[in-house]
Amino acid sequence: MVKFPGTNCDEDVFHAARSVGLEPEVVWYKYFRPSSWDAIIIPGGFSYGDWLRAGAIAARTSAADSLYEARDSGAPIMGICNGFQILVEAGLLPGALLPNVGGRFVCRWVKLYVERPRGPWLKVLGDGDRLDMPVAHGEGRYYIDNESYYATVVKSPVLRYADGWNPNGSIYNIAGVATEDGAILGLMPHPERAYTDLLAPRGFTPGGKILFKSLADSLRKGW
Amino acid sequence: MPLTTEEVEEIRRILGREPTLEELAMFEAQWSEHCSYKSSRVLLKLLPSTGRHVIVGVGRDAPAVELYPDTAVVFKIESHNHPSAVDPYNGAATGIGGIVRDILAMGAKPIALLDMLYLGDPGNPHANWLIRGIVRGISDYGNRIGVPTVAGDTFFDSRFNRQPLVNVACVGVASRERLVLSSPRPGDLIIVMGNATGRDGLLGSSFASKALSDNVDSDIGAVQVGDPLTEKLLIDAIQVLVGEKLVSYIKDLGGGGLTTAISEVAAEHGLGAVVHLEKLHTRQSLSPLELLVSESQERMLLSVEPEVADRVAQILEKFDVSYSVIGHFDDSGRIRVYHGGRLVADVPARDLAKPKAVRRDSRPPNEALKGLQPLTRLPTPPNLKDAILKLLSSPNTASKRWIFEQYDYEVGIRTAVKPGYGDAAVLRLLDGSCRGLAVKGDANPRYTSLDPFTGAANTVAECFRNLVAVGSRPIAIVDELNAGNPEKPEHYWYFEMMLKGVAWMAGELGLPVVGGKVSFYNEDSQGRQVRPTATIVGVGRIRDVRRAATMDFKQLGSLIVVVGATYPELGGSEYLSAIFGIEEGEIPRPRPATELRNAKFVYRAIRRGLVRAVHDISGGGLAVALLEMAVRGGVGFEVDLSKLVVRGDGRFDEILFSETQARYIIEADENAVEELIKYAQLMGVDVSIIGRTAGGGRALLRYDGGSITVELDEAASLYERSFEDAIEGGV
Repeated sequence: MVKFPGTNCDEDVFHAARSVGLEPEVVWYKYFRPSSWDAIIIPGGFSYGDWLRAGAIAARTSAADSLYEARDSGAPIMGICNGFQILVEAGLLPGALLPNVGGRFVCRWVKLYVERPRGPWLKVLGDGDRLDMPVAHGEGRYYIDNESYYATVVKSPVLRYADGWNPNGSIYNIAGVATEDGAILGLMPHPERAYTDLLAPRGFTPGGKILFKSLADSLRKGW
Repeated sequence: MPLTTEEVEEIRRILGREPTLEELAMFEAQWSEHCSYKSSRVLLKLLPSTGRHVIVGVGRDAPAVELYPDTAVVFKIESHNHPSAVDPYNGAATGIGGIVRDILAMGAKPIALLDMLYLGDPGNPHANWLIRGIVRGISDYGNRIGVPTVAGDTFFDSRFNRQPLVNVACVGVASRERLVLSSPRPGDLIIVMGNATGRDGLLGSSFASKALSDNVDSDIGAVQVGDPLTEKLLIDAIQVLVGEKLVSYIKDLGGGGLTTAISEVAAEHGLGAVVHLEKLHTRQSLSPLELLVSESQERMLLSVEPEVADRVAQILEKFDVSYSVIGHFDDSGRIRVYHGGRLVADVPARDLAKPKAVRRDSRPPNEALKGLQPLTRLPTPPNLKDAILKLLSSPNTASKRWIFEQYDYEVGIRTAVKPGYGDAAVLRLLDGSCRGLAVKGDANPRYTSLDPFTGAANTVAECFRNLVAVGSRPIAIVDELNAGNPEKPEHYWYFEMMLKGVAWMAGELGLPVVGGKVSFYNEDSQGRQVRPTATIVGVGRIRDVRRAATMDFKQLGSLIVVVGATYPELGGSEYLSAIFGIEEGEIPRPRPATELRNAKFVYRAIRRGLVRAVHDISGGGLAVALLEMAVRGGVGFEVDLSKLVVRGDGRFDEILFSETQARYIIEADENAVEELIKYAQLMGVDVSIIGRTAGGGRALLRYDGGSITVELDEAASLYERSFEDAIEGGV
């Protein structure tokens, strides 16, 4: 797990990953070398205080170069919330993340479903499976132009907000996108905040643990 | 507040000579009301501050209380009223920054924030601007530092239109051995870490110790600007420094800046200090005077033994935290400040840190009689259904979703009972066990305006009830008393009475008041005090967070049980205010013995798994509490209020909307009721089974000779939307 100045979900992801038997470690961005790790997570937070644009500065540090290396080696990478913003800013995932419709930060549990699940993070899910998780962001409105959408997103795994649950005005209800093989996944909702029943309010079933389980399974048996 | 002539005379006497400009500035900062508590110190001793579980009481940056034998909770409250009136965004944000650093200073990990906001009428353009700015300031700062804002309190009233009250609290936890309880020693290095010092917040605490001027723009230089990224790095770095036991003392550079931090540490430990101002890292070129009293944010003072200084530097550099070694402590008892080799100040630490306490005159104003007169002539009751719906739409009752969704209340993955679900927030410790704590903040500015003693006492009781209603055992509270000008006897009286009310009720309920703050000079440019307000934040212990109770009705056919007797007590109620615009009468009487008994009953019922939902009865009375449970749960109900235990003879609206203390509503399974009644009889608790949860999407309240039916959809929509509409559409 790569930690930048302002990353604040590293300990949370650590707990969630540990709960499925993974052996995570938090690495300060200055010391991040991808070759030492089986999989990489960029946790949420406010790297560099969201100065300029969310994720923009972190995507221009030396740690980003290491992310390109990791991509070339095919390592699983997941960016959560600010981590997703960093992956998009670094050009590792398509699209852009804009300020929420409504202009306010929003923290709320939402319902999602997955399409074309594959790759290390999603392979144990079935097409159309429902997942509940909370979002917490000010700049989470996914945007992509139609040409890129039909060229990339529709062929790749994607997470969408269920009807009526889009908290930020994201285009096509997109909550998360992935590379075609699913090796790199970015999503605005927080799976680590939905890894146990205790954290899910009434009316929601925690849908976060399955992503970590999928990774644990993939690292053992491949994907 | 500038120094008085007598104070300058006193300074001459202490020094035995004319003070330098730098020394005068140091005294002005340190002797300001904000830093010295000179007007309140004598009375503050009335608060019961000790107890079996208190580890550190009043005096350090924050108190620490034993939550479990191996775990301490560190929590504190603070006000940022003056800055938030001038610059709502930065004023509120820096309030969060400051309170978090107080928790860090004890070596604890901050795990929760609370905001208690007493704000103007959302329909007033200026108040609306302040509300948006304050909430956004807390949101932007709290979210960025990764500490969840999990609970709080609000109250809206046009008397706060220009001068709001912004009270914030932070809760931290630490294992017993991680708490930083040691003292600095002579020879220890003084390190200032964090932000570079600049020309912001100059004499900010002095600014907070006088009334706001008419032209608020002239005060803007006294408001500090927050930098949450640096704060987050301070949090991360201090966790490592404390984990490796590298520091002997930590202190926030808050109000009064460097002067206050050094003089308080030195005075408290009988030390002196040598400081070289030119070594401090700065943003711009500053005079020695400015360096001494700047209140630039996100700075902390470390006391470090010279042998470990290199390791400390290494850690700070890893986290990109700026720092400077500016001097050391010695055993001289004097603070000696140099700038470029020139001695600019040389003062005895003890005299600087503690000015003479001032005794203030106290006298009730005529206005205070309004809260002493029983209500003899009630206005004709309105259509009761309309009254219920109007109360549900009042900004004081309606859902505060617009506010709490702007806060990241999930970060840290501890929040088991989230905003909007329970009477208090419940957090787990995340130490592998199911242990946790409950936190809540409360105030009722209307009560404390009418009757400051009883109002403050009721606030302590309400906080206590809220903690009990989620299934926790309250262990300690802190208080923030927001009052007017202490130099005016008719303002000071409110402060004195609120303090005595808190002290009395806390004593009766066995709750130590382990810390607190006082905010004076909350008056407008015409010299009128804003509503005197006693804010209480409490912490409760909850052994198994999975058992925490929430307020939403869970299923059809449960029995609805009211705990506690209802008296006809409408004085100062939300009903009289929202429906008739009346604010007078005796407010509900505090009944501490009943409070304790009923709390024990509810606590036991929750622990034994006999309840499905619990909600305390407060503003808006029984009617509003029932509707809240129904709306949150999406489950209707049918109750017959002739079954309610009522004392005295009241009109029906007096019963429906009475704010009698010590009451709760419980949703219980039919099979549990026998046991509940048995307990109630054993413990001498009044309980009434008034009806059942029911389907059909409606709430039905029967009483002698009539009934009220409220459609749940309509109630829910008003409850959920009214506040947002008032904020977004009101201007």
